[in-house]
Amino acid sequence: MLWRFPYRVQIPLGLSLAVLMTALLVTAVSAQISARSARLETLATLDRAVVLLVAQARPLLAADDTWRTFALLRDTAALIPGAATGHARLAVLDAEGQVFAASDPVQLDTGRPLLGTTWHNQPLQASREITGTQRLDQSDGAVILLDPIRSEDGQTLGHVFMEVDASVFAPDWLALAKTALIGMALAVTLLVPAGWWVGKRMTRPVARLVKVIERIGHDTPGNLRKEVPRTADPEMKRISDAVLQLMGELEQRGKAEARALSAERLAAVGRMTAVVAHEINNPLAGLLTATQTLRLHGATDDIRERTVDLLDRGLQQIRTTLAALLPQARREDRPLEPGDLDDVVTLVQATAGRHTAQLITRVEVESALRVPSAPLRQVMLNLLLNALKAAGENGQIEAMLKADAERVQFCVFNTGTALTHEQFMESLAGESGLDPRGFGLWVCQELASHYRGGFELDRTTSSGTRLVFWLPNTEPQETKA
Amino acid sequence: MDRRACVRALTAAGVAAITAPVKASPERLRIGLTPVILADQVAFLSRWGRYLSARVGCEVSFLARESYQAILDLLFSGQIDAAWICGYPYVRHEPDLALLAVPLYQGQPTYQAYLIRSRNPAVPLNGWADLRGKVLAYSDPLSNSGWLVAQAQLAKAGLGPHDLKRSFFAHGHRNVAEAVAARLAQAGSIDGYVWETMRQQGMAAVAQTDVVWKSEPHGFPPLVTRRDAVHPFLPQLQQVLLSMPEDATGRDLLNALNLTGFNEGASALFDSIRRQAQTVPGSGVVA
Repeated sequence: MLWRFPYRVQIPLGLSLAVLMTALLVTAVSAQISARSARLETLATLDRAVVLLVAQARPLLAADDTWRTFALLRDTAALIPGAATGHARLAVLDAEGQVFAASDPVQLDTGRPLLGTTWHNQPLQASREITGTQRLDQSDGAVILLDPIRSEDGQTLGHVFMEVDASVFAPDWLALAKTALIGMALAVTLLVPAGWWVGKRMTRPVARLVKVIERIGHDTPGNLRKEVPRTADPEMKRISDAVLQLMGELEQRGKAEARALSAERLAAVGRMTAVVAHEINNPLAGLLTATQTLRLHGATDDIRERTVDLLDRGLQQIRTTLAALLPQARREDRPLEPGDLDDVVTLVQATAGRHTAQLITRVEVESALRVPSAPLRQVMLNLLLNALKAAGENGQIEAMLKADAERVQFCVFNTGTALTHEQFMESLAGESGLDPRGFGLWVCQELASHYRGGFELDRTTSSGTRLVFWLPNTEPQETKA
Repeated sequence: MDRRACVRALTAAGVAAITAPVKASPERLRIGLTPVILADQVAFLSRWGRYLSARVGCEVSFLARESYQAILDLLFSGQIDAAWICGYPYVRHEPDLALLAVPLYQGQPTYQAYLIRSRNPAVPLNGWADLRGKVLAYSDPLSNSGWLVAQAQLAKAGLGPHDLKRSFFAHGHRNVAEAVAARLAQAGSIDGYVWETMRQQGMAAVAQTDVVWKSEPHGFPPLVTRRDAVHPFLPQLQQVLLSMPEDATGRDLLNALNLTGFNEGASALFDSIRRQAQTVPGSGVVA
């Protein structure tokens, strides 16, 4: 039950329960000790009363003064526990062991033979056999005390008889419990809040650490470092240091990722630039030829018109190619647009032409696109180039950009040799991002992880390879590198 | 002097008057008290002493002793000037004693001795003959009702001292009632006037006892002086005692004593005690 609570509640609650159990234990032990002490105290009181009676009754016995002996017993009985309620009785016996006077004459009537008889199932020795103080402990806890009263010359004048019923020694659990409960209530009232407070104080650094850990990835490490608790406790200090170390490593890893992504983007641009330069160079040769034609045969209207058209188409092709390349090199970001897929397709079209591959694209955007354009364009470029390479000569590539309210998904299918799951995982595991199959699948995986999306192999595809990249269709939650 | 200091002073004076060693003086009259009355109320005795002092013309004080013999010893040694004793010691020492006044109880100078028994549960005892094997409490060896009457009645019932289980002196009629009430004794021989006064005052011990026998009227315990007493204020003391019913304060004091007055008394008033004592061996009264 206790373990279902959070750690920061367990500790205060556990301390409070410990206080409560300690109070209960102490109360029980105290009650037991009190009960034992009460019996010892009662016996000590009886011993003192017997000593008093022996001394005071001696002259009264000598004077045969029953009344004053009775008065003495009556007054002494006021000191004996239980006498007031009839659970204790005192008597002075004469030399023959008969009752000379008793504090309770109704039970111990004057002149009654007592010594040498059985009283309350307790055999009593005859007067002459009693040579010293006797304490007769009965099985039920009752006690009978007998002490001879002697003259100065040693003659036995009589005896002091004292009987205390077992009920007098029985612990008054109700009274003990009442006192104990008051003590326990005080202890609980004072110590449980203190225990709770101490517990809360002990777990406060843990709670703060939990909050810091929860915010890792959502707040800057600089802010979080300030909130890591500094304690003198060695265990807590180790945990805090570990959290700080973890934050440092994550920060370094983030920076490394950013650097890797940036490098990969530039590498992709470089690769594309080479392809595009070739694409621009081809029309340039035609354009130069056209200008030469125009210079030589420009007087003819028909030739001039066709040459100008040729120049126009060539320049348009160059402009289109450059327009598609330009966003790829920009650092500033903006939300993805459906036209970005066309740009990327334009960039890879030349490669597709070289491989005589067929590239089919499809766009199904049902919701506003809120994902950043730069990483998506890079992923699309990587996956398309990768698919063109994998598809091989006369292969077919199907690319689809799909978006709904939940996610933005880019799927690329190629008809090349099927990529197994193991091969896919090996590609992703390449720390350097050097994908042996072409452009970095690892980078796609890193981008997916960075933007809390996913990158996976569609294992339901029976032939060919279908890769799926998706990001949540939400506003970016952090500043991207 | 504030009220508390005054009360303390009066209380101290009263206690001192009762317990302190005594010395006869012509300027003071000392009266000894025995348990024939409930004389352990310091405030009452102080008030009565002031009343008598104001009227006698000298300081009058009281002192009390549990034992009749102790008071007689003080009287015969001249340490006190008068004593309130029982009729039996008066009869016994009549040649040496003179009557000062005899109290009137219910208008008569007589009282009765009672035989009482424990109540709840009642002791099976309806007369002196039933005392065989029982414990009997007496008041004092010099008490008429608390010893002499019992001796005479036991003898009449054919019981001797050894026929009782046990007997003891309780040093006062009040203690006899308490001893019987506590069942220390199963029966007690007690002054009827004291028992009735205790009942009138609502004392618990009386409620635990029953009267099973009453004696014939005997002369009420008298106030006596030594026959050779020469204290000059004794005649005034006698007059003041006799005239107490005549004023409100005196009547109030008499009411507190459960008495109606005093008279001069006469020796013949104690003839019944005298006759009874003559039947009891060792009574000290001979025919």
